[in-house]
Amino acid sequence: MDASLVFAQFLSGLSRGMMLFLIASGLSLIFGVMNILNFAHATLWLVGAYVCYTFWFLMQDYAFGLWLSIPLAALVLAAIGWVIEVVLIRRVYKRELPEQLLLTYALVLILGDLIKIVWGVEDKLIERPPLVEGPVFIFGMPFDSYFIFVILVGLAVAVGLWWFLQKTRYGHIVRAAVFSREMVSALGIPIPRIYSGVFALGIFIAGLAGAVQAPVGSITLGMDMAVVIQAFCVVVIGGFGSLLGTFVAALIVGEVYAFSILFWPQGALVLIFVVTAFILIIRPWGLFGTPTRA
Amino acid sequence: MKSKTTIIVCALMLLGGFTLAGTGLAAEPYNLGVNLAITGTGALYCKDGVDAIELAVAEINAQGGFLGKHPIELFIRDSHTKPDVAVREAKDLILRDKVRAILGTYSSACAVAIKPVAQEYKVLHIPAISNSENITMVNFSPYTYQVVPNSYMQAKAVVLGVAELAKKKGWKNYITIASDYEWGRSTQNNTVALLKQLAPDLKLTKEFWPALGETQYTSYITAIMGQKPDFVIGSVAAKDNVAWMKQATAYGFFEKIPYPGSLISVTELIVQAKSMTRGMVGLSRAPFFAHLDVPMMANFVKSFKAKYDRYPSDWAVMEYDAVYVLKQGVEKAGSIDTDKVKDALKGATVDTTRGRLYFRTIDNQLSCSSYIGVVADDPKYPFPIYHDLVEVKGPDSWRPEEEIVAARAK
Amino acid sequence: MIRYWWLGLVFIAMLLLPLFIGEFWVHVAIEILILGLFAVSFNMIFGYMGQLSFGHAAYFGVGAYATGLLLVKTSVPLPVALAVSMVTAGFFALVIGYFCVRLTGIYFAILTMAFGQMLYYIIFQWYSFTGGDNGLQGIAPPAWLMTASAYYYFTLFIVIAALIVMWFISESPFGYTMRSIRENADRTRFIGINVSQYMLINFVVAGMFAGLAGGLLGPFNRSIAPDLCNWHQSGVPVFMTVIGGPLGFFGPMIGSVIYTFLFAFVTGFTEYWPLTIGLVIVFVVLFMPGGVLGLAQSKFKTLGARDLRAGPQGPIDTET
Repeated sequence: MDASLVFAQFLSGLSRGMMLFLIASGLSLIFGVMNILNFAHATLWLVGAYVCYTFWFLMQDYAFGLWLSIPLAALVLAAIGWVIEVVLIRRVYKRELPEQLLLTYALVLILGDLIKIVWGVEDKLIERPPLVEGPVFIFGMPFDSYFIFVILVGLAVAVGLWWFLQKTRYGHIVRAAVFSREMVSALGIPIPRIYSGVFALGIFIAGLAGAVQAPVGSITLGMDMAVVIQAFCVVVIGGFGSLLGTFVAALIVGEVYAFSILFWPQGALVLIFVVTAFILIIRPWGLFGTPTRA
Repeated sequence: MKSKTTIIVCALMLLGGFTLAGTGLAAEPYNLGVNLAITGTGALYCKDGVDAIELAVAEINAQGGFLGKHPIELFIRDSHTKPDVAVREAKDLILRDKVRAILGTYSSACAVAIKPVAQEYKVLHIPAISNSENITMVNFSPYTYQVVPNSYMQAKAVVLGVAELAKKKGWKNYITIASDYEWGRSTQNNTVALLKQLAPDLKLTKEFWPALGETQYTSYITAIMGQKPDFVIGSVAAKDNVAWMKQATAYGFFEKIPYPGSLISVTELIVQAKSMTRGMVGLSRAPFFAHLDVPMMANFVKSFKAKYDRYPSDWAVMEYDAVYVLKQGVEKAGSIDTDKVKDALKGATVDTTRGRLYFRTIDNQLSCSSYIGVVADDPKYPFPIYHDLVEVKGPDSWRPEEEIVAARAK
Repeated sequence: MIRYWWLGLVFIAMLLLPLFIGEFWVHVAIEILILGLFAVSFNMIFGYMGQLSFGHAAYFGVGAYATGLLLVKTSVPLPVALAVSMVTAGFFALVIGYFCVRLTGIYFAILTMAFGQMLYYIIFQWYSFTGGDNGLQGIAPPAWLMTASAYYYFTLFIVIAALIVMWFISESPFGYTMRSIRENADRTRFIGINVSQYMLINFVVAGMFAGLAGGLLGPFNRSIAPDLCNWHQSGVPVFMTVIGGPLGFFGPMIGSVIYTFLFAFVTGFTEYWPLTIGLVIVFVVLFMPGGVLGLAQSKFKTLGARDLRAGPQGPIDTET
């Protein structure tokens, strides 16, 4: 086992981690602000992938087809997220946890079948544009060039979210609302609008993640199932509502995967769950979360 | 209140029961069940299979059905590529839809799972995509007839070719990557065991086992390329195979590392027409272009293309054959009674799109061939096919009977 | 007990059921019983103790595998295998519950889910012992239980016995302590109850009965798979309980009748079962929060089972 192999695994773990971060960040945001654990997050991610495919399909004769489809898909998902929040999620804010969880779980089932109805059961395959078709060579090791793009998007989302929450007025309002809904409401700012916006933002990121994932392999039904559990683990390990935590945890999980393939292939997922359980037992608010939550 | 609910429920159940009993049948149809992975990893292969079955059934029904008087009624269920779901659907098909035979499954694990159920309820079972050897070798069921070259036969075919290549090119070590489920394990185990027999100097340096349904192969790709093996043998399934090959191509994998004899079915050839690396040596189970001289195959390809506007994959070919094998069993038995058909098929010689073949009595395995060839473009088709095609016949590649007897004795 | 005269009617109806319905629906009835038992055991944690366990299927699966492995690899008789299932499931519940009962709310839910998934993956990967993703095939009940009707009666009596035991537990002082923990764990602690210990005992008992249900499933289906431990399987008793109503003892069983029957019915003519049940759940959560029982109680004021929120009513009991 030499340095170049380690480096190659590190890079592949990095790309996997970035994908996970993209999926988990929206989940973390929504839970952090609204206290809703959105089971349907990965399913919406999958819808994003399918929507991206449809856009790409319509524009496939143009070289920029894929690059335009990705943000378009994310916008469509944001709209879908807004609608879901207004129609469904809004009704269960005042309810107990089990009912909220059940509602989002039911959404998983409903959306899953809707995907089947709209797009059918066959795999969808996106042809990559020539720019990202072949490998690039980093220190002599081949690396899928598309993943450079993935890493860039992941970083952009991380920075963008941070900037949004820390530096913009809207972001400040959102953070204030986490602390005290009543105060923000008393200042005349409509809380329901804020929640819709945050939910839509979270789903926007999920849609973006899905669209970015789309050209990696094929898009198939049921992809959301494997991913949702991993996303939950990432959010738990990193800490609910902590952006930094989600980022770090996503990278950790990605690297654990990449390296466990070399030593204990079957063990990757079991390891992740052990770590998740461990964190929940000794430090339930995660690596970077705050104990005041839940 | 609850008693009211209970009474209503009971009434509904009674109604259901009577409806079922009341399907008193005039010209008795032949209820045929299909248990395939309409969703899940196998969906890619199964769509073709279902289309071919429907085509075959339409053709036979146009002549009045089996024996000219038993129209075939199809009942199609989704096994989700999961054994427990497959079992549930099989029971549903048998108990609710009263099918006499079940075609399918996709996943070898599912086939192994529904085999005892079919046997218990005395229903014929013809897997036409699943091919793990465990379907026919152990826990033999007289109701199961296999029309696919099984994993041992395919492995032997590959190994014969690979051993030759290894000698020619001086290969010393290799790596395997196989989907971690029944078929992947069976195929990889057989391949490795046979390679050890035929090319004992070859060393297996590492095995990779991605989970079924894995979508990210990057870490496997980099790990394999980092080890720099002389060649790699892959046993990756359906959708996973598409993802794996696509991602590996993006790394230039197949240009750097020989990848001989891994399953590249006609489906992969069509789906990855643009990106597939030409010159690779691949394995197939029932490529239509290998038997265009057989009239049944030529007609089938023509009808399939006319009806669905595409060429049939291996899976379409074999499911089509499965229906016609059933037809010939019914004709030989002169009746649709399942036990008579089962006995008629034993050791029978049948006409298939792949030629005239026969069932070996010890394991009900059809004497069908495996196909190895080089991926190359062909002016006749919009996708690459195999050139330099080598057909390894069933009887040359199946496990010797003594070994089967020994395995069953254990 | 005269209050429950209608229970007698139900019992007689269930005894006579196989005489009137086809074999397919007898299979459905067996499933209703097994899953209903699973759901009632789940409700011990959810309805009575007030915590949402999203990993209850772990014990269901463990029970299934214990019985399945014993029947396939040894010649242990079925009743013994079922007892082993209960003990094994109880053991796992003890180990897992030890960690879980220290948490509440969403953390409890996620931790139970994480453990459930861990167990699922372990069973899934341990190919040599459990058969891995192939599952375990050829699990055969003893010859006298091979027919659907025979297995139906067997299951019926076992499930009824289990329900009676759970009923007595829920109506005992232990059961009322559970309700008190659900209402306000801190106050319960203040009166000197070791809350964690009580929660753990409840968790283990619930796990044992889930294991019993799982043990019954294997020989019925002749086949089991690791998916029985999956979080989707954990969702099934949650659905049933919510549909039937978590605040009544029979709620989950009613939920099982509705859910299982609906499943058998709907899958007969469409593949879109997830869509169907998803819509049902959304409907129930938004418009029928107490489930069928809650609706019945508010509409008819007769009590199929006593409202669990209230304690014993005292001597004035108009229903007797």
